[in-house]
Amino acid sequence: MMQQSGIYAVASKDIVFESFDGEAVVLDLATGKYFGFSDSGSRIWEALSSGVPASELIDAATAVGTVGAGEIDSFIGQLLEFGLLVPASGAPALLSSELLTQLAQAREPLKVDLHDDLADLIVVDPIHDVEEPLGWPAVKQAT
Amino acid sequence: MGAPRQQITLESLPDYARHVLAVAESRAASYPLTSQIKLPRLELTAHLGPGALADAIGNAFVPVRADEAEAGACGVFITHAGIEGIPAPATWGNQLYIPHAFATRLAEAGLRGSYFHDLDFWQFYDPERHVGAQLMMSADGFPPWEPGAPLRAFLHWEYAARGMRLTHAGTLGLNGKGILLAGSGGAGKSGTVVAGLLNGLDSVGDDYVLIDLNDGVTAYPLFATLKQDPRGFARLGLKQRLKSYDPLNWQGKHQFRVDDIAARPIPASLDIAALMVPHISGNLESSIVPVSRKDAMIALAPSGISQMPGERESGFRFFSQLTSLLPCYRLSLGTQPAEIAATVSDFLARGDA
Repeated sequence: MMQQSGIYAVASKDIVFESFDGEAVVLDLATGKYFGFSDSGSRIWEALSSGVPASELIDAATAVGTVGAGEIDSFIGQLLEFGLLVPASGAPALLSSELLTQLAQAREPLKVDLHDDLADLIVVDPIHDVEEPLGWPAVKQAT
Repeated sequence: MGAPRQQITLESLPDYARHVLAVAESRAASYPLTSQIKLPRLELTAHLGPGALADAIGNAFVPVRADEAEAGACGVFITHAGIEGIPAPATWGNQLYIPHAFATRLAEAGLRGSYFHDLDFWQFYDPERHVGAQLMMSADGFPPWEPGAPLRAFLHWEYAARGMRLTHAGTLGLNGKGILLAGSGGAGKSGTVVAGLLNGLDSVGDDYVLIDLNDGVTAYPLFATLKQDPRGFARLGLKQRLKSYDPLNWQGKHQFRVDDIAARPIPASLDIAALMVPHISGNLESSIVPVSRKDAMIALAPSGISQMPGERESGFRFFSQLTSLLPCYRLSLGTQPAEIAATVSDFLARGDA
């Protein structure tokens, strides 16, 4: 059974993103975590973050055969877990034919990689320590 | 025992910032030294006392040679509780200190700032008035990394306000054209810069360079400092090359200057032709292969944003634009410094670079 069928929005103003040759990079300004999306993942992110309902996206994506409904479902679960999306209400956006074409042309599986090796530097304090390979004092979680 | 020190919260932070700026500025006559530093598009005047910080400010920068008509100006007051009329720095209260919340609160008030708990070391900047203050408990009450790149935070704020950016990247160049080397520590960035300098290439710096995106991607030198751990120092032959060198710095690294090892004077700027992500391959020969802009962005942006207080979103946008403007490559580093330099040199000499 599909868990995710509604409309979503970017979780907060601290979630910022840019696209590079069709691949999205998302930064959570508050935690310092970076997320790198595969090409198919970038299209799904683009659609969901602009308000395309998950149910419509799943129907369209499975029709073009790029990714399965189950994959999209668990991908959305991951985006919610990472705190990048939140359920939203409001008028649904339409999935553009351009985005659907790009999704049909995607070559990589649905994927989002988390890069949080420097997140500690951004998010927590107050105990500072020196982590030599970083060339700068890494900030460790206070105990 | 003196009076209990003020405890700062997010709520009181903007008022405290304004207070520190006003007090530091009001004592302008009590700073024994005035240091004027000519930097790209900026003349910075630091008011401070003698000591390690003053020495560092005298040595750390690459001064701009030519007069620049469009240079702006900013002033920084470096002060401490040992100066008459300057109160002891406040301390952070019981509230959890979250750097992003700290920076956001100040930004809402039109200010910038940073705080280092262990020393109650405060830095505040008013980008509208181009005035900054650094408040310390004593003349030497600064974090150990401060002399390596003095006034770094103030330069970061001032240049960010001008749409430019201090960027955590190495540089190598030839005949005015250059590459940016991105990546966190341990990727081989600094070793590559030194290998290039020792073998006839130019550099406008390692660690922090100034990037302008107004007309292509231009890198300017700010700090002349280079660093190598003792292993790299020996491997690159610096032990023999540098007649004398200072004791290891706070990171356990040798610290020296670009002009100690460069064949030519540091160029005034480099036109950046490519963004490269170095990595130590273990192969004998170096190679340069395309890498996705997404991967290059993830190599470039995190350290540049996390090592600088505030301006995170503007940094993310800036580094995104920078990455989009450049072809991106993975530079797999061979084992021989001369061969690494030759690989970069060949790349820069090619028409497509």
